[in-house]
This record gives sequence, structure tokens and C-alpha cells, in this order.
Amino acid sequence: MIELTGLSKIFRTELVETHALRDISIRVNEGEFVALTGPSGSGKSTLLNVLGTLENFDQGDYLLDGKSVKGLSDRELSTLRNEKIGFIFQGFNLIKDYSLFDNIELPLRYRGFKPAERKRRVEHALETVGLAARRNYHPSQLSGGQQQRVAIARAIAGSPRVLLADEPTGNLDSLMARQVMELLDQINRDGCTILMVTHDPDQARRASRQIQIIDGQLSDAVLYDPLAVA
Amino acid sequence: MEQLQYYFKISLISIKRAPLPYLLTVLILSLGLGMFFANATFYYRLNSDPLPQKSDKLFFPMMLLVPGDCDSGCEPPPVLSYSNVQKLGSSGIPTAQAAMYSSDSYVRLDSKQQPLPVRLRLTQRDFFQLFDVPVLAGSIWPDNSARYEVVIGKQLAEKLYGTADVVGKSLLVDDRHFTISAVINPWQMLPRLYDANNGSHISETEQLFMPLETAYDLNYMSATMSRTMDDTDYRQLATQGRTGALHQLQFWVQLDTPAQQKAYKDFMLQLAQSEQAAGRHPVHINNQLPALRDIVRYFGRESGDVKAYALVTLLFLVVCIFNASHLSLNRYISNQYEFSLRRALGASRWQLQQQLLVDVVVLTCVTLVFALLIGAASIQLMNYLWPFNRLFASWDLSLLSALLLLSLFCSYLVTLYPSLRASFGALNQQLKE
Repeated sequence: MIELTGLSKIFRTELVETHALRDISIRVNEGEFVALTGPSGSGKSTLLNVLGTLENFDQGDYLLDGKSVKGLSDRELSTLRNEKIGFIFQGFNLIKDYSLFDNIELPLRYRGFKPAERKRRVEHALETVGLAARRNYHPSQLSGGQQQRVAIARAIAGSPRVLLADEPTGNLDSLMARQVMELLDQINRDGCTILMVTHDPDQARRASRQIQIIDGQLSDAVLYDPLAVA
Repeated sequence: MEQLQYYFKISLISIKRAPLPYLLTVLILSLGLGMFFANATFYYRLNSDPLPQKSDKLFFPMMLLVPGDCDSGCEPPPVLSYSNVQKLGSSGIPTAQAAMYSSDSYVRLDSKQQPLPVRLRLTQRDFFQLFDVPVLAGSIWPDNSARYEVVIGKQLAEKLYGTADVVGKSLLVDDRHFTISAVINPWQMLPRLYDANNGSHISETEQLFMPLETAYDLNYMSATMSRTMDDTDYRQLATQGRTGALHQLQFWVQLDTPAQQKAYKDFMLQLAQSEQAAGRHPVHINNQLPALRDIVRYFGRESGDVKAYALVTLLFLVVCIFNASHLSLNRYISNQYEFSLRRALGASRWQLQQQLLVDVVVLTCVTLVFALLIGAASIQLMNYLWPFNRLFASWDLSLLSALLLLSLFCSYLVTLYPSLRASFGALNQQLKE
């Protein structure tokens, strides 16, 4: 599903070079729920951005579904993001003056779906996250947890192969965080691969595998690796 | 189509999100466009070709047929004497030809009525053919001989008689009885290039036309330009005016083919040589034959003011574009998060550019409306300050189309850089709160 080989990422300014990721090699199988953990500034969000093709990388290779993303054009990368990847951000990233329906519909429009198909998918996604009755609400009319559920609905509406979540519960209280995690568990059980950045050890333990990153490198302390066990 | 509607919808949402910066952007751009367009209107009108179908076939012959030495420059005078016109008109080469000048007079229907001042064009039969003057009723004089018949404009006829059906009626011109032989339709040759040698080409066309021979018989002096080369008293035009060196006539010829034009130039050369041989033309030969389309430039009658204002307003427009771009950049940068989000969710740069093109169209439409209002107000102001320019203040389809294209171009410039900045920004930084 996802295969990184010797991947490195360097942030350059005029004065300094920062090695955000060093020689990362990871393999994630279809249907896995992987938690990326590590201290702040360790490079886990950078890794998630590279996986989501929001950032490029300097060395190594990244195969998604067996195909390298290296050298893809902007158009090809956009299509890849649109069709295969769903994003869940810590700050929800909903457009405030759009209705829930319009927010969830957004990526489907760029996919070229017909209106009826978009409607069907948005309504199904809203049902999945339990907000079908509020399709015409605006984000400001919802709680933080509900907003994150809308963001999840937007991420899954296009039936992506992989869901990338960057501290999805970082802005939520514990009750809402639990609801969101239960939702992610359910989505994973339905077959979607999830990679989630988190600081919370409890949430990390819910994943089927944890990958710890320290100073841009994979740590030896990988708590559970089904591939390694196999 | 559905996607296009969607782009319009999000463009309007974006405007609603920050209406004041958007309004300021529109106003600044509209101000620049409106001011520029007002001046461009005058510039375009003053430099337009009023007779495009024959402006390269009508010529204004001039010869240095002056007695004695020329003082400076030795350029042929821009007006001709009666005798020189007779000589230039004897070639038989032009398709049509007419001598002319203008004078002032008073008209009324009878001696009890208050006299009405009018500008007279004193000319010959072919004038109406040369400049495509539309005849409404009656017939133009059959030849160039003197007759007490005038041709009148429809507007003047309606003003005097209350109707345009006035052929055969009597009119007092300076208290002399004339019969109206023809009525012409409302006609404006703008600019009135047949009068460019006098610098009078930005005034209205005349409403009353009198045979040139009659005008000489009645001692009508030119109201614009006349030059004398001797000490004769030319107030008695009927006698001395036809033979002496009083230069006051304009002379236009229609030469349809290059062969005609060459033949006429040869004729002018032979005429100058024969005048030299006869001792009437002691200085060197200098014949000129500018075409109607070049006549303003030839006489240096281009309006320097309008040109200067057009340049100033163009620079003002550039300043406005820079300011509007700055405002637009702020607006787009505040929306950059949304651009990044859209790209993260799968929009390509091209799809974002499509959205921005719709923004350009919306900005163009709104700006166009404001620019037209500001342009119209500017023209009113200029008409007030320079009333003689009033004739040149009208808009036609081509001018409005030009404004539309200019608005589109400026709106694109105002949107282009900010949108590129917004759509090429780093995605991850914008999405991470």
C-alpha cells in the first residue's frame, strides 16, 4: 500500500539546513491503522505531509499502491490526493461560510463526479459520522467534535485508499476525542488504511502499529509491528 | 456549466467575506479606467477617420504660387487664391473637385423676424459628392455658376420653418432673398477634416451652403483664414478678389486611382513650371498633395492637450492597477488558506486558475459598470471645461468593446500576481494552525 525507502527531507534556509527526515523506510499494508508518534518537532507531521504529497522529499522513494510519486506533475499529484488520500487536520480546516454539505462536497467536485453522485456520497458520509440531519448547518454552529466529524466525512466521501490524520483529536476534549477515535476505528474496520500522528499514548495504543520518530529518524522502539512479528 | 456556476458562487462568497477591500479594489481600478476612458474617447474621436471609404482618395493640392520671394520656410500657403483655384481646377483629371471657404451670416424668413446667426459654407457643386453629404430632398446646384440658391441642413430648416419640407421656399440670408434648392439630412463629419488647414476641424458641420461664385459676388470674406500678398483692398471680392493675390480658398480633389494621382501631380508640376516661365512664380517649386487622412498631421493640428491628458491618464491607470493589485494581494493572501485547502483536497493549479478566471470576469463586470459611470462623469466635466470638445464625447460599440477588453485586461493584471502567489504557496504551512 505505502512503501517508503530511504526517504529524506531537508528544509533549507540561507543560513541553515534542517534534516527533517533521515533515511526513513516504512511499509504500511492495506487496512492497517498506524500511529506515528514522537516528541514535538521530531518530523512526524512532515512525514505525514510527504505521505500526503503536500510536501516533496529530497532523497529516497515513495511508492503508493506500487507506483512512485517521484516526478509526478502537479496535475497527477492533485489527482492522486483527490482519489487515493483523505486528510484529517488537527484544526479541522473547514470553510466557515460553506454549509456542511458544501464542505464535504468540495473534493468530490474536483473529481468530476456528477451532481447526483456527489449528493449520494455526501449524504452517505454525513450518515457515517452521524450528522445527516445537519447538512445545511455551518461549521460555526457545531461543536469541535462535530466539526472534526465533518472533516472526517469530507475525508472519506471520496472513498480514499488511505486516511492521513494529523493529531485529529488535538483540539478536542476527552469525550469528543473518544468519539472521533471510535469513528476512525470504524472507518479502519471498513477497510480504509489510516496513518495518524498523535501525542496521546492511549490513542496510539488503539492503532494496530506504532511508528516512533525521533529527530527525523525511525526509532528502534516500535511497540507493535505485525510485519515484524510475521 | 454546473462547475462554472459553482465558481461564480464561490467568487461571490469570497466577495461577501471581505466586501470593503473588494469595493476599494473595484473603485480604484474603476477610477483609473474611467479617467483613462474619458480621455481615450476624445483621443479616439479626434483621430478617427470620418470617411474611411475615401480618405485616401481625397486630396488637398497646394502650390507655392506666390508673387515675390518667400520669407521663411517657403511652404505653400494652406489657402489658395481664386485664380490659382481656376488653374488647379482646369486639369480635368479629378473625379470631383470643389473650392470652398466659410463665412458668417444671419438668416431669417422675413424682415420682421429676429435674425439668426449661422456659419456659411461657400462652396461648389461637388462638395456634397466629395464628402458624402446625404441629401434629404431637392437637388444640388447643377453647376458652379452664381445663383441665389442655398442648400440647408434639416435641423436649421426645422428651426426656421418648423418642417424639413422647405425645398423651393425663400430664405433671407443677410437680408437677400435666396431660394432653398435642397435639404440635407443631419450630418456630422467628425472631425471635419475639410477644414483642417484652418484648425477648425473640431467644430460642427455647417447648416447652410451657398454657391462660391455668389459669395464672391456678394463680397463674403473668409471668417477663418485669408492671406493677401499685395496692397489691394480685397473687400470688393466681386472684382479684385477673383484676380488678385487674395488667398482664402480651400480646394479639394477626388483622385480615385494611383494613375489619377500621378497624373494630377504631373499636372501640378507642369503648372508650376509654366507659372515660373511666365514670371509669376519666382521661387522654387514646392507642390504638396496631402490626402484627407493625413491632413491633420500635415498641418500640425493634432490636439496636444488631448494627447498629453491621454498620457497622464494612462500613467494614472498604471498607478491604479498597482494599488488595486496591492489590495487584491492582501485579499488573496487572507484567502490563501482556502487555496491551500482546495489544493490539498485535490484541486490542481489549473482548476484553481479556472476559479480565478471567474474572479477576473466578476471583477471585470463590476469594474466596467463603475468605470462607465466615472467615465461619463469625467466626460461631462471635460465638456464643461472645454465645450468645443463636446462633439467628440460620444461612445459607440467599438469604444465600449475596447473598454470591456481593457477592463478585462486590467482585472486580469490585478488578479494575476495575487492569485499566482496564493495558488503557488506552500500547502502544509497554511493548513497547519
